Amino acid sequence: MKISGKWIFTLLLTIFSVSLVFYLNPGGPLRILGNLLTFAGIYALAAIGLNVHFGMTGLLNFGHASFMGVGAYVTLLLIPHAAGREGEISENGLPFLSALLIGIVAAALFGLLLGLPAIRLRGDYLAIVTIAAAEIFRLLVRDLESITGGVYGIINFSSALQKYRPLFFDEFITELELAPAQIWVGLLSWVSIFFTLIIIKRLNQSPWGRALRAVREDEDAVRALGKNAVWLKLQSFMLGAGIAGLAGVFLAFNYGSVQTTLFVPLLTFYVWAIMILGGVGSLTGPIFGSIIFWAIISETDKLAALIFENADGQQLAGVRFALVGLLIMILMIFRPSGLLGKKEELLLNVK
Amino acid sequence: MVDQLGNGLLLGIIISVASVALSLLYSVTRIVNFAHGEIIALGAIVTLFFSSPVDSRIIYLDRFSPLGIDFILSAIIAVFICGVFGGLLEVLLFRPLRKAEVGNIAILVVTIGLSIFLRHLYLIFATGRVQNFPLELERRQTYWFVDMTPRNFKVLIAGLIVMIIVGILLTFTRIGKAMRAVRDSDELASISGVNSDNIILFTWISSSMLAGLAGIFQATINDVRYNMGFLILLLIFAGTVLGGIGTSFGAMVGGLLIGIFVQVSVALPFMEGHTEAKNGVALAIMILILLFRPQGIFGQKERIS
Repeated sequence: MKISGKWIFTLLLTIFSVSLVFYLNPGGPLRILGNLLTFAGIYALAAIGLNVHFGMTGLLNFGHASFMGVGAYVTLLLIPHAAGREGEISENGLPFLSALLIGIVAAALFGLLLGLPAIRLRGDYLAIVTIAAAEIFRLLVRDLESITGGVYGIINFSSALQKYRPLFFDEFITELELAPAQIWVGLLSWVSIFFTLIIIKRLNQSPWGRALRAVREDEDAVRALGKNAVWLKLQSFMLGAGIAGLAGVFLAFNYGSVQTTLFVPLLTFYVWAIMILGGVGSLTGPIFGSIIFWAIISETDKLAALIFENADGQQLAGVRFALVGLLIMILMIFRPSGLLGKKEELLLNVK
Repeated sequence: MVDQLGNGLLLGIIISVASVALSLLYSVTRIVNFAHGEIIALGAIVTLFFSSPVDSRIIYLDRFSPLGIDFILSAIIAVFICGVFGGLLEVLLFRPLRKAEVGNIAILVVTIGLSIFLRHLYLIFATGRVQNFPLELERRQTYWFVDMTPRNFKVLIAGLIVMIIVGILLTFTRIGKAMRAVRDSDELASISGVNSDNIILFTWISSSMLAGLAGIFQATINDVRYNMGFLILLLIFAGTVLGGIGTSFGAMVGGLLIGIFVQVSVALPFMEGHTEAKNGVALAIMILILLFRPQGIFGQKERIS
């Protein structure tokens, strides 16, 4: 890894934004930091998945929330849980790890299902199809109340993961006055990021990764060399969707309950903002992008307080989301390669 | 089924107007405008702001008190404000991007950012609650074979008239021809003396005015919400795609069909108890069309790839 100005700037910016959180929260900064790093880890994982789609292969996927949703719902429905308004707890279910594995595979298969027909479409059509498919998924989940709990969602599933929490971990975390359950989810998501990145790095350097980048640059050339470009794209779609599914599971466990309102298009746009901020096509970019993004998000309340005297919850949320939109716009206009992306690798001039 | 037909026609005409606007913009500029929904909402919000009685606390912040002007006049003002807003977007944002030769995909992502930004500005400054235009309640009447309120019937007729006017303008006027020329080839149009910058500006303005009008229609029939445009945006995409992306007449028919389909599908036997999922059916149709007949009903194949 070459140390360049880009890297130093990114590291300094990350350190600066985290210390800003410390500075702005004199009472109990650790608690806020724990919350921040947990969210950052989960979203970084989702952004890594999106980067496989957009950064590595050039696929304009705006249905990322549905991949996260499929992973989360399939996993939760397989472990002991309570769904719906009455919410009876089903005691029997698979152990967490096997359910998680099925959830990830299901998300990948959903990627295949969506990609199989859609992958031949031109960029902007693919964007419309993926966002529409994600909405169909969400409406379907809301409609199938008998299984998914509909608008009431799924609860009482946390113990399936939390029972693996070691005792010494609890003691250590409680001493720091942090919530052990959340930190456990955060820790696991950061561990997952580590292994996911190792896998992607290996893939990137393999012939497969080179072929994938070639698809992004010039699909016809790849075809002429006898590679199956469509199948390569589909594999990339499945890989990214699977990673998104894993992130969706962590997101669900972080909240302790899921409703369909969690997997709205805004979730997709959050992940997009993080990916662009970190750097399209950059391996570790999503990590830094996510930390900085969540540092900004967690301090928007203070910004809103500067604008309004008595801001209500809706206005606070409004300020937060408006900032996300502005961030996407400004980055895309002035620095589309983000913090760590390579400009020459950007696939934005497609007509 | 017949009950739903009236609702379907109403939703259809709204989507139709909005789809023509989206399609017009796409055909001339090649921009898939995700912020289209926010211009729709702007039309409704500005109308609400102008027409609400002075003493009502209709708008979020106290410092913006409503103006209490006549409703029709407010609507006309709102349509013009939307046009100005669209023109400003072109001059301040999209023209510089075009001159800098930013790719279409990047511009698409910019419109998504713009959409999120504007929508939440509305949430902050305009209306977090669901609001209604200051209009009296009316009783339903029967027109030919559909039941609807007189006001909704007027909306339907107004929508049809707007469509006819847009159709005539596009087909017969000089500017309509110039727009079609820029659509077919930017460079050839410039050679024949068409100023493509002006045409694109005009397209942004007219597209935004139509979008604002669609928003006023939508809010007259239903209500004003900060995210009303985003809620209907995917249906507008569906209407545009169904008719054939980039074809104005296709978008009119496609939008109408999607609206009717969404509302009538509620009455289908297998949809009983699943009315919430009705939009999903329309979106599924859109995906199928894109896969098997990407040029839509009226599009020509060579315009697609």
